Amino acid sequence: MSKATLEGKTISLEEAYRKAADILRSARFPLIAGLGADIAGARSAILLAERVRGAFDHLASEEILADLDVMRSFSMFTTTPNEARVRADCFLFVGPGLTKLWPSMVERLAPDQSPRHGAQAGAPRKIFWLGPDASEAKGVGALSINAPVSEISSLLAQLRATIGGRPITREAAGATPAIAEIAQALKSAHFGVVVWSASAGLDALAIEMLQGIVADLNVSTRCTGVPIGARAGAAGVTQAAGWMTGFPPRTAFGRGYPEHDAWRFEARRLVESGEADAALWISAYDGEPPPWSRADLPLITLAPAGKQPGHGLYIEVGQPGVTHDAVEYAQEIAAMTLRKASQSTATPSVGIVIDAILAEISEASSC
Amino acid sequence: MLTVLRGGHIVDPATKQDTIGDVWFQDGRIVAPPAHNKGDVEIDVSGHVVMAGAIDIHSHIAGGNVNTARLLLPELHRAVRARLVGTPLSTAKWSTYETGRLYAQMGFTTVVEPAMAPHHALQTHLELNDVPIIDKGALTVLGNDDFLLRMMRQGASESAINDYVALTVSNTHSLGLKCINPGGCESFKENMRAFGLDDVVPFYGVTSRQIFQLLQKSTQAVGVPHPLHLHMNNLGIAGNIDTALQTIDAAEGLPLHLAHVQFYAYGVEGKHGFSSASARFAEKINANPNVSVDVGQVMFSDTVTISSDVLKQFNSLSGAIPRKGAIFDGDANGGGVVPYAYKISNYYNAIQWAAGLELFLLIQNPEQVYFTTDHPNGGPFTAYPDLFALLMSADLRAQMMARLPADVLEHTTLPSISREYTLYEIAQMSRSGAAKLFGFKDRGQLGVGSVADIAVYKPSKDIAAMFRRAAYVFKDGERVVRDGNVTHYTRGKTLHISPAYDKNIHQRLDAYYAELYGLPRTIFNISEAALPKENAFAEVACRN
Ligand SMILES: [Zn+2]
Repeated sequence: MSKATLEGKTISLEEAYRKAADILRSARFPLIAGLGADIAGARSAILLAERVRGAFDHLASEEILADLDVMRSFSMFTTTPNEARVRADCFLFVGPGLTKLWPSMVERLAPDQSPRHGAQAGAPRKIFWLGPDASEAKGVGALSINAPVSEISSLLAQLRATIGGRPITREAAGATPAIAEIAQALKSAHFGVVVWSASAGLDALAIEMLQGIVADLNVSTRCTGVPIGARAGAAGVTQAAGWMTGFPPRTAFGRGYPEHDAWRFEARRLVESGEADAALWISAYDGEPPPWSRADLPLITLAPAGKQPGHGLYIEVGQPGVTHDAVEYAQEIAAMTLRKASQSTATPSVGIVIDAILAEISEASSC
Repeated sequence: MLTVLRGGHIVDPATKQDTIGDVWFQDGRIVAPPAHNKGDVEIDVSGHVVMAGAIDIHSHIAGGNVNTARLLLPELHRAVRARLVGTPLSTAKWSTYETGRLYAQMGFTTVVEPAMAPHHALQTHLELNDVPIIDKGALTVLGNDDFLLRMMRQGASESAINDYVALTVSNTHSLGLKCINPGGCESFKENMRAFGLDDVVPFYGVTSRQIFQLLQKSTQAVGVPHPLHLHMNNLGIAGNIDTALQTIDAAEGLPLHLAHVQFYAYGVEGKHGFSSASARFAEKINANPNVSVDVGQVMFSDTVTISSDVLKQFNSLSGAIPRKGAIFDGDANGGGVVPYAYKISNYYNAIQWAAGLELFLLIQNPEQVYFTTDHPNGGPFTAYPDLFALLMSADLRAQMMARLPADVLEHTTLPSISREYTLYEIAQMSRSGAAKLFGFKDRGQLGVGSVADIAVYKPSKDIAAMFRRAAYVFKDGERVVRDGNVTHYTRGKTLHISPAYDKNIHQRLDAYYAELYGLPRTIFNISEAALPKENAFAEVACRN
């Protein structure tokens, strides 16, 4: 039996939906945030944000936008994990903790196996790792360059310069002789693949440098990238936001149409500045709490069992792909898939809960 | 509820009507006039033109590549006004919701997304599901997929190929097959930067010609109503008219649809080495009734090119306006998204504009040529009304030609063409012919029993204005547009076919996915349960 509580006191679901509708309807500029949800949940949440003329943001937007900023201002070469698996003859992993961010990475990309397609088929792959966690690189048989994440940008800059035949400082060259080896390997690869994640701490500058390397290599050979998406359904939510509004998260409907602004519509800033006067926090995967410190904001939380917050209205929701079937963007195929529930329960999904809240907010009263 | 539209000018080529009359419908279908001649609802449409809802046969409105374009170019689609009541997100520019609204306003009721990658089919369907009002369909892309190329290399039997084609179309819930630079995208992964009709795909030993001929035959064999939809090699390259003419010869009389042919109508004359070859192209099409084409008309505007021809898109990246893009090597085709601006003052763009119009005007049978802008590649679909106006008015074309760079007119036959399309011919192109092309028996026409998808236009001297804002649109008999405004949403269906195949192919494919990718093939499945609501799909019959 799923549950709802108001300031810790159990209330009925029907009451909870009405109360949630009241909170959102009476707010001047409500915020729909967290957005840790499957496609159906994201879809309903964005329709709700539009109906109440609020803003929506995802809890991992910083990472989503690091990749998007590079595409929007430079360019982006990508491929699928499948294609990397069957064709890559050189892998360059960039950043720490990739195997934690994508636990099946090694199994999916199979760097220990040979590529299957092209002239490179059957030959062992070359594998490099810039700035791995301790022991992580060994697991995939990579030649690693140990460096803190803060130095990855400058290592990538050295690599780009070396690939382009531009001089780098003698100290830099002496400190990292492996850079020359990576440069040579990528230049002579038929199909190099760079694997990275903004969630590993890479910022837009590092990712742009990395994509610059890829773009440069494509002048004479093939090279591309596999990004590892952020947590809590980030990649799928970004896709849904894209087709529904044209924009990624950090988009608002204050004027009745979507406006995207990565600074103005950041959830934490909206709350702490007081611009948002109510919030719906959605975190269905693991109940991650909101990043803001204000406790006086009218708050509705949708989270799984056991993740009830200390205050406000709480409605328990199921976990996507665990307690209910869910469509999400699957990292292993870089595409949407339907995940069947592994332990099906009757707890409502985010989509069902939000649709019920929406049903309480009539079109006429919101505008 | 029995509704009658009284006294309109009915233009319906399928039933050969071009006359004043009444149109009756009930429960979502066109019905015969009742003996009592009295409707529950009577709408006077005298002085208006009444047509079936229009069908767009090729418009990139959904799927991963389209969504990448949205995310790549926030500056191209800033919204400017709030929506009307009852139409969520309908003014969110370039959203699926706005797409449905804008099509409906123009009297379009069915639109086909022409490039659905099998491994990304679910996203395409999720997006199509969020296009309100209109019915949708999609074409599945094959021809750069390892499984097919491998079968060809191994000399697999025709029946094995047919099973694969039928299964793929069926599983991805599409209306047929598209082939996009067959073999060229696979070859780009092997670092080839150009790929012609008789170039050989490395390591597979097959040519583009062989791939498309095989899929063309297979499409026929498994009963797909729509002929193979082909995006040829060498798109956009000066002199590619030769590729186009050779491709038509290679069709060997079998049905074939050539996509956005304007982009292949280029000769090498003049000091720029770039000229319109549309006259030769049109002559060839007129002589080959097995071939149908859509034009991919260029309309001068800022836009973005979205194509699964990743080789071509990579080559275009250096000319991107603004200078950015996305290049995606997919499991098979992948795709590229490259922004571009067509300018009337640009010699090449002006030749493209003229070449497209020549094709429209020189191809004699309106049911052999379809109006598209290859949205958004040549321009947005919202430019169709302007395109209709250009086809219907030689004066309007002359006014436009006066604004082109002077040397353009030396390399196109457009100034010599006086033909003006009639409303009847517009309806042939956008209704009756388009329905035939996809095997739709009950749409694109106003015959008794057809779906009551109806567009009513108020004639105007400004032809574009007439088509831009329909006076009324009915979808499945329900009024959804009045005076050019969508009044509320209805939920359209996604149309698809289910060609039959021998189920033994399941085992072969399961083994293939497990061995090569280490994945269950079911991860790519489309099921109705994956879409937000039930009844997302409606099946269209195959040919027997
Ligand atoms: Zn196209």
